[in-house]
Amino acid sequence: MPSIQSTLGEEEGIAEELAESQQQISIAEFFEKNKHMLGFDSGARALVTAVKEAVDNALDATEEAGILPDIYVEIDDAGDYYTLVVEDNGPGITKEQVPKVFGKLLYGSRFHAREQSRGQQGIGISAAVLYSQLTSGKPAKITSRTKGSAEAEYFELIIDTDENEPEIQHAETTSWDRTHGTRIELEMEGNMRARSQLLKYIKHTAVVNPHARITFEEPSMDEPRQFERATDQLPAETEEIRPHPHGVELGTVLKMLAETDSHSVSGFVQSEFTRVGKKTADSIVDNFRDRHFGREAAWRAPRSHDEADVARAVQQAVANKGAEATNAFADEVANAVAARDRVAHSELREIVADAAEIGDDHGVTFGATVRENAIGAAWDELTADRTSDLYQLVDAATTTRKDDEAIDGLAERLAKRFEKGRERDRATHSELRKYVDRAADQTEEYDDATFGETARENVVTELWSVMVTVPDEVPKVRDLAEDRDAASDLLEAMRETDIISPPTNCLSPITADLVEAGLKKEYDADFYAASTRDADVHGGDPFIVEAGIAYGGDLEADGQADVLRFANRVPLVYQRGACATTDVVKSIGWRNYNLSQPGGSGIPNGPAVIMVHVASTNVPFTSESKDAVANVPEIEDEIELAIREAARELKSYLNKRKSLEKRKKKQNVIASILPKMAEKVAEVTDNDEPQYDDALARIMNNVLVEREREDGRVRLVVENHTDTNESPDITDIVTAEPSNLSDGATAVDMDGEWFVKWSPTVPSGEEAVLEYEVSAEASFDLSVEGIEDPKLTLNQ
Amino acid sequence: MSTDTTAQEKLIDLAAEFYDQLERGEIPEMSVPTRTKSNIVFDEDSDVWVYGDRESTRSANSVRGARKLLKAIYTIEFLADQLDADRSSTLRELYYLSESWDVDEAQFSSQDESNQLVEDLEIVSEVTREDFHMRPEESGATIMGPLYLREQTRRGEREIHCQEDVGEGGYQIPNNPDTIEFLDNDADFVLCVETGGMRDRLVENGFDEEYNTIIVHLKGQPARATRRITKRLHDELDLPVTVFTDGDPWSYRIFGSVAYGSIKSAHLSDYLATPEAQFIGIQPEDIVEYDLPTDPLSDSDVNALESELEDPRYQTDYWEKQIEIQLDIEKKSEQQSLASHGLDFVTETYLPERLDEMGVL
Repeated sequence: MPSIQSTLGEEEGIAEELAESQQQISIAEFFEKNKHMLGFDSGARALVTAVKEAVDNALDATEEAGILPDIYVEIDDAGDYYTLVVEDNGPGITKEQVPKVFGKLLYGSRFHAREQSRGQQGIGISAAVLYSQLTSGKPAKITSRTKGSAEAEYFELIIDTDENEPEIQHAETTSWDRTHGTRIELEMEGNMRARSQLLKYIKHTAVVNPHARITFEEPSMDEPRQFERATDQLPAETEEIRPHPHGVELGTVLKMLAETDSHSVSGFVQSEFTRVGKKTADSIVDNFRDRHFGREAAWRAPRSHDEADVARAVQQAVANKGAEATNAFADEVANAVAARDRVAHSELREIVADAAEIGDDHGVTFGATVRENAIGAAWDELTADRTSDLYQLVDAATTTRKDDEAIDGLAERLAKRFEKGRERDRATHSELRKYVDRAADQTEEYDDATFGETARENVVTELWSVMVTVPDEVPKVRDLAEDRDAASDLLEAMRETDIISPPTNCLSPITADLVEAGLKKEYDADFYAASTRDADVHGGDPFIVEAGIAYGGDLEADGQADVLRFANRVPLVYQRGACATTDVVKSIGWRNYNLSQPGGSGIPNGPAVIMVHVASTNVPFTSESKDAVANVPEIEDEIELAIREAARELKSYLNKRKSLEKRKKKQNVIASILPKMAEKVAEVTDNDEPQYDDALARIMNNVLVEREREDGRVRLVVENHTDTNESPDITDIVTAEPSNLSDGATAVDMDGEWFVKWSPTVPSGEEAVLEYEVSAEASFDLSVEGIEDPKLTLNQ
Repeated sequence: MSTDTTAQEKLIDLAAEFYDQLERGEIPEMSVPTRTKSNIVFDEDSDVWVYGDRESTRSANSVRGARKLLKAIYTIEFLADQLDADRSSTLRELYYLSESWDVDEAQFSSQDESNQLVEDLEIVSEVTREDFHMRPEESGATIMGPLYLREQTRRGEREIHCQEDVGEGGYQIPNNPDTIEFLDNDADFVLCVETGGMRDRLVENGFDEEYNTIIVHLKGQPARATRRITKRLHDELDLPVTVFTDGDPWSYRIFGSVAYGSIKSAHLSDYLATPEAQFIGIQPEDIVEYDLPTDPLSDSDVNALESELEDPRYQTDYWEKQIEIQLDIEKKSEQQSLASHGLDFVTETYLPERLDEMGVL
C-alpha cells in the first residue's frame, strides 16, 4: 500500500482531464464548477470531505512506512471559519515533497492504479487545500518532521490558481513534540451541520482500521474522543498489479497506448497488462486482426468436373516464361490449391509465392508482376462458383426443413454480396452479419421463405468459422493511440479473449478476526461475528467482500439495524439508499436469522450493526462522488454470501440465547416457588426448612457447585445435572493457606490470599469433589467460570 | 373424631413426603392415577370400576408442576387447620379462600383447578373429601320412603322417619351420609329417580306407600352423598336398588355412576358404587314397546352413545344391545313422556311391569 507520495505525478486524475476540456477557465473557476463532484458542495459536506481526505492521506502515509497510525483530528471554531488540524505519526516529508503532496491539485487521484487503495476515493488532499484557500484566503500550514531530524519544519503553502502550481510562501524550522510525522492545518468556510456524519465517519474509520488509534475533537466536545487501536497488526502489504485486459475502458487503453514503451500490440498487451503472456497475446492479436481487418473467405478448390481449372488459368496468365517452366509453375499452384480443403486469398498468395521457387529449376524468375497475374487468375477460378460452396455451408447451418430453393436463393445472394464486397472477399464479423441479413431479407421477399434470427445467426457462425484470419500486420501502437476506432477494436479483442483471472495479492482484506476486533472496540454488544470471502473478479478487477455483525448489548434496540458500508477501508457516508450493499441487506430474509423484519424484507430491526467491506482494485461506484457501490451482480452475490455467513453465527447465538432465556424464566419462576414450598412444608410438618438447592439444580438441569465444611475440612462438590459433559474452571479464594489439595487442584499465594484453582470435567449426571484442609477461621470466595450463568447454581 | 385425626395425619404425611424429597435433593413430585376413561379397569373383587395402573406425575420439574405442588402444600395446610378447628367448607369456598393466601403463585386460577387438586389429595392420601370436611356446592338430594334413621348433626342427634317426619319434599340427605345410622325400615326396594317431576309424581301417586319403596331423588347426575347413601341402603339393609331415568345417553351415564362408579371418582368406587343396581328405563326398547312420544337424537347424543360403546363400563351385552337399538331408531324419550298414556300410567302400568320383569316385585 504505497502512500500518496510514491505515486504522485505518475498518473493524472479524471478531474484534470475535465479541467483540460475547460482550458479557458482558471483552476479556481474549475473547482467552483465541479465542487459537487469533489465533495465540497456545501459547508457541512466540505468539512466532512476535508477530514476524509486528510485522514486517508495520514493512514496511507503511516501504513506505507510500516508505522502503526496514531492520528489526531481536530476541528476548531475560529470565528468566521473553521480550522481543521490533522496530524499523523508517519515518516514525515521533506520540503521538496510538500508542494507535490499537498499542493499540486488533482495529482492525488490514483485513478487506475491496480491496487486496493484509499486514494481511489475522492480527489485528494490538495482539493481540501484549495477549498481552504479559496474560502478563507489563508495558506495551508504544514508542519513535518522526518525521523531522526532534530527539528520540525514549518511551511505555508498556497496554490497559484492561474498556473495550478503550488508555492511555498514561508518556511522555517520549528519544534514539535512528535518525533516524526506530518501536521496540516486548514482554515475554511464550513459548518457543523454534518456533525453526526463526521463522528460516524471517524468511528467507522476506526472500525475498519483496527490498527489505528484516532483522536478526534470538535467544538461541541468537552474533551477529545479517543478511538483506541485493537491490534498491532498492520494491513498486509499489497502489490500493485497491472490492469487486467477484461477490466479496462477505452479511455484508459488510449492513455496506456500513448504512454507505453512498446511498439507492437503484442508487446503492449504483454507488458502493460496482467495475466497476458505470449500465447494470450497471440490470441488477442488474432482477435484484433479479425476485428480490424476482417477475415477472408476461403473457397473450395475446383474439382475435376468443375468448369473452373486453376492450372489452365495460371498457365494463361503467365507470359514469356517458356512452356515448361510455365506448366510446372501452374501445376505446382494447382496441386497446392487442390491439396487444401479451402483456400483464402492470403493463402493463395503464399501458395503462389512457394510455387514461384520452381522457376529456379528452370532458370527463370517468376517476378512480382507474374505472381500477381497468377494470383488474379487462380482467384478468379476459385471464386467462379461461390454459390455452390455457399449452398453447402448454408445447408449445413440451417434446419432440414428449409426449402432447397430458399437455401439456393440465399447462397446465390450471399455470393453476390461477397463479389460486390471488399476485395479478396474480406469481411468483418459485423459485415458478414450484414451480408447474411441482406441476403436473407431478399430471399424472404422473393422466394417466400423465412430466415429467422436463429437461422441467420447459425449461418453467420458457420461462414465465420471457415473464414480465415488474415496475416496482415496489425497497426503499431503509435498508430493505435491516434486511432480511436482501431483502439476500440483492440479493446474488444481483449475482452473476447479468454484470460485467467487477475491475481489477488493486490488486495488487503481486513480479515474476519480484525473485522470482529474493530466492531468490538467501537460497539458495546453481546455478540460479534465476521466473515471474509475468497477473492472473486468483476470486470477484470479482483475483489474481496467482508461482513461483520454485532448484536445486543448497548446497541440501540429501537428501530432499524445500523448498516455500515465500506470500500477499501473507507467509510461510505452518503447515498445509503443507492448502494448495492444496502440493497443486499434489504433483500435478505432476516427472519431466518431470528431478527425482526417487518414485512419480511428491508433493513432488519433490533439492536444490530451490519457492516460490509468491499475491497477491490477498482470498486465500482454509482457516481463520481463515490458514495455508493454500484449494483454489480458478482459483487452483490459475494456481499450476500458474506453477510449470510456472519448471520448464520448470529442465528445460532440468538437461538442459544433464547433457550437460555427460557431456562432463566423457568428458573426464576421455580426458584421463587421452591423456597415458598419449602417454607410451607416446614410449617405444616413442624420442621426446620429443608435444603432445596440440590433439588433446584436438578430441576434446572444445572451444574451445582456446593461447599461443605466440617472443621478444617472443605469439600467442593460439583454436581452436573445437565445432559452434556461440563468443564468448569473453579477458583476458590481462601484467606489461609490450604493443604492436602485433592484432584489435581493448585493453590497460588497472592498477597496473603490463596487461589485454589481446579478444572474438573464432570460427565452428565455425575459429580466431582475437591477436598482440602484449611484452618477453621479461614473465609472463602468461590467463583466459577466456563458455565453460563443460568446453568449454574452456586451454593457457598 | 378419630377419622379427623387420621385424615389430618395422612395430610401431614403427604407434606412430610415433600419435605423428605427436598432434603434428599430430589425433585418434589406427586403421582396420581390418570383420570380418563382409558385408565379405568373392572375390579373383579368388588365388581366396580377403578383406576388402572397409569399415573400422571405432578412434578416441580416444570413451571406448571411446581405451581401445582405449591398449591397442594397450601391446600394441605388449609385442610389440616380446618380439621383442627372442626370446621367445614365447600369446594367453592376453598377456591375463593385461596385468594387470601400470601403467595400469589399458590392461588387457584379456576374452581376446576381446586376441585381437581382436592381429588388428587383424596387419592394420594386415601382420605375422602368428606373426611377433609369439604362439601360440594349443591345440597344433597332427598329420600322418601319407609325408613327410620338417626342423623348425627352439629346440633345434636335427630331421629327421623322418612315418611312420617318429613313433608312432601322428603328427607334431605346430608353431605356426609356416614353420619346417619339406619334404625328400622319396611322397604322392599330402592327406586332412584332422575328427575324431580317424576319423583313428585311417584310421591303424589303414593307409590312409596303402595310398594314399600324408598324413593331416592338423584337430581340429575347424583352427588356423592346420594350415591353413598344408595350404596349403604343396598349394603346395610340388603335392599335391591333400581334406577329410573330418561331414555337418553346422558341418563345412562347417571345409571353408570350409581352402579359402576364415575370416572372422576373411580378411586372411591368401593365406597360409592352399587354394582348390583338395576336399570329400569326408559330403555330404548320401551320407546318402541310403549309407543312413547320422542325427540330425534342430536349429533351430540349420537356422539355420546358412540362414546359409551367404547366405555369399558358399558361393554356388556345388555348395554350394547340397548345403545344399538337407540342408534338405530334415532330417537330418545323422557321419563315424563309416559304421561301420554295418562298420569297414573307410570305407577299403575309401566313400573309394575318393568319391576316384575326385573324380578324386583
